[in-house]
Amino acid sequence: MRKAFDWWWGIALAFSLLAAMRAFLPLPFVNEILIFSIYAIGCSFLLGRVGFISFGQPAYLAIGAYGTAFYLFYFGTNPYIGILAGLASGFIAALIVGPLFVRLRSDYFALVNLALAVIVFFLMQKVLAPITKGDNGLWFLTNMTSTPVLDITRPSQFFVFAFIVGLAIWAFYKYLDDTLFGACCLATKINEDKLQFLGYSNFSIRLAAFVIANTTTALAGSLYAVYIGAVSPEITSPARAADPVVVILLGGAGTLYGPIVGSIAYTGMKDVISKLIGNWEMIIGPLLVIIMLAGEKGIWGTLEPWLKTLLFRNKSVVPQKNSSIEGN
Amino acid sequence: MEIFRASNVTKRFGALVAVNNVSYSLHEHEVAGIIGSNGAGKTTFFNLLTGMFPPDEGTIHYRDVEITHETPQQRVTRGVMRTFQLTSTFDNLTVIDNLVLAYFRAHRKASLLQLFLNTCKQHRNNEKITAILETFDLKDLRDREVRNLSLGEKRRLEIAMTMLAEPKVLLLDEPLAGLAESEIQAVLEILRRQMGRQTILIVEHKISHVKDFLQRITVMHEGSIIAEGGYDECMSHPEVRRSYWQIDIDAETSAEAGS
Repeated sequence: MRKAFDWWWGIALAFSLLAAMRAFLPLPFVNEILIFSIYAIGCSFLLGRVGFISFGQPAYLAIGAYGTAFYLFYFGTNPYIGILAGLASGFIAALIVGPLFVRLRSDYFALVNLALAVIVFFLMQKVLAPITKGDNGLWFLTNMTSTPVLDITRPSQFFVFAFIVGLAIWAFYKYLDDTLFGACCLATKINEDKLQFLGYSNFSIRLAAFVIANTTTALAGSLYAVYIGAVSPEITSPARAADPVVVILLGGAGTLYGPIVGSIAYTGMKDVISKLIGNWEMIIGPLLVIIMLAGEKGIWGTLEPWLKTLLFRNKSVVPQKNSSIEGN
Repeated sequence: MEIFRASNVTKRFGALVAVNNVSYSLHEHEVAGIIGSNGAGKTTFFNLLTGMFPPDEGTIHYRDVEITHETPQQRVTRGVMRTFQLTSTFDNLTVIDNLVLAYFRAHRKASLLQLFLNTCKQHRNNEKITAILETFDLKDLRDREVRNLSLGEKRRLEIAMTMLAEPKVLLLDEPLAGLAESEIQAVLEILRRQMGRQTILIVEHKISHVKDFLQRITVMHEGSIIAEGGYDECMSHPEVRRSYWQIDIDAETSAEAGS
């Protein structure tokens, strides 16, 4: 029982915090945090586990969002099927570009993904404008029909759905951390030659990690599309390419809970500061620099040891394997 | 019985001929060594045998099957494993998880699905892994991250990982490099125990440490084999004395004639 608690305590704590936030903070804010943290977890997995930094996450976010939007605008009305369509779009896109991208070194990987984000942006804005309606975007809020049990067309019930999806995703990534696949990802990050000479395929491991991470990102795009009820090319704007990277660096690069903490911090700062001044980036930028200089581990990476000591008191029961992806 | 055969193998890097028309055989359960000065082409030849890169010319056979263009993974499947000149482990994993990764690939199919379905924890108490921890005196370091180990401990772990896979051919690239005397003895003791069980090829600078148990020594110089045979035979070879020990044979001969 104690071991099970040790294993899950981070997830329980993170989601208890999110549930508590629902009671005190505006619903749109909490929903945004949930979607943003799902958006960032894929990027965090790629960076922390495999060593790939990606500035192309908006591309996969947009592919998921447009997959959902196309279904709900042109073909059907059920938002759940729309989410499945977005998820499938992200999976297929990752499977197509993955074999090309994962052969690259991390720096080239970052740039080629950024290039993909630019390509997707112009595809959605210009080339496919007859279908995507260009800058006006696709509006399908009124097309969606209410669904039984959990009506995700209503923001309050959408929160419950996004919360369950988020919890499932974190449990999945926690499981991945503990699998041999997770260990292989860490191994390929630090010593691909050795892994190869043990008989493992670096390519297969990286491709699988890439597909998992970007399908998760596409899922975040689908959730965003259903929540807003509209999608425009702005979602894949290259100007927003660094957002998930900033969030995970802020929360704690390569940690499992960093994306949640980073999303809360980033969305919170953005929300509060943008109410005070128009050009909120002018404040957020320097703030991020200060936070990162204060602790390279990010907020979660710095707080985690303190929280463990506080929660477990007796150091001997502190889990050997912390929740840090890096530290596995 | 011949287990490994390289025939007229050549490898060029631009204008540099790193390995020049080398033919070499390794026999089953033999413990052989390749020595040579820096830049002799030992490690390049070693990399050709292990599939790090293919030769420009020539062929490599394993048990009469041509493996010249096989990938390292395919060679591992055949039972050929190697260690690296610079100790090569997964520093961001624990000692036990390094061993689990080595064990799992060698004893299971290790398809992606298997990697997803198995956790490291499931295999940490495996009998063979526990035994190898004892053998290599790594039991107390079991849960320590490899980045916190000394060079000697890492070297022992690297060889333990290779042994755990129970390879038929073990290729060791300078296994004693950077080790203290006590650590050298520990590694040599482990290697001695494998004699007669595995085919071992060692590339080593510290020839004095390994000469006692090498059954055959091959000396390379400027990409070519210049001598082959027992230790004394090789060391007295004039070409070896000139290139490896840098002894001026002509001056020595003149001095002897003068005296």
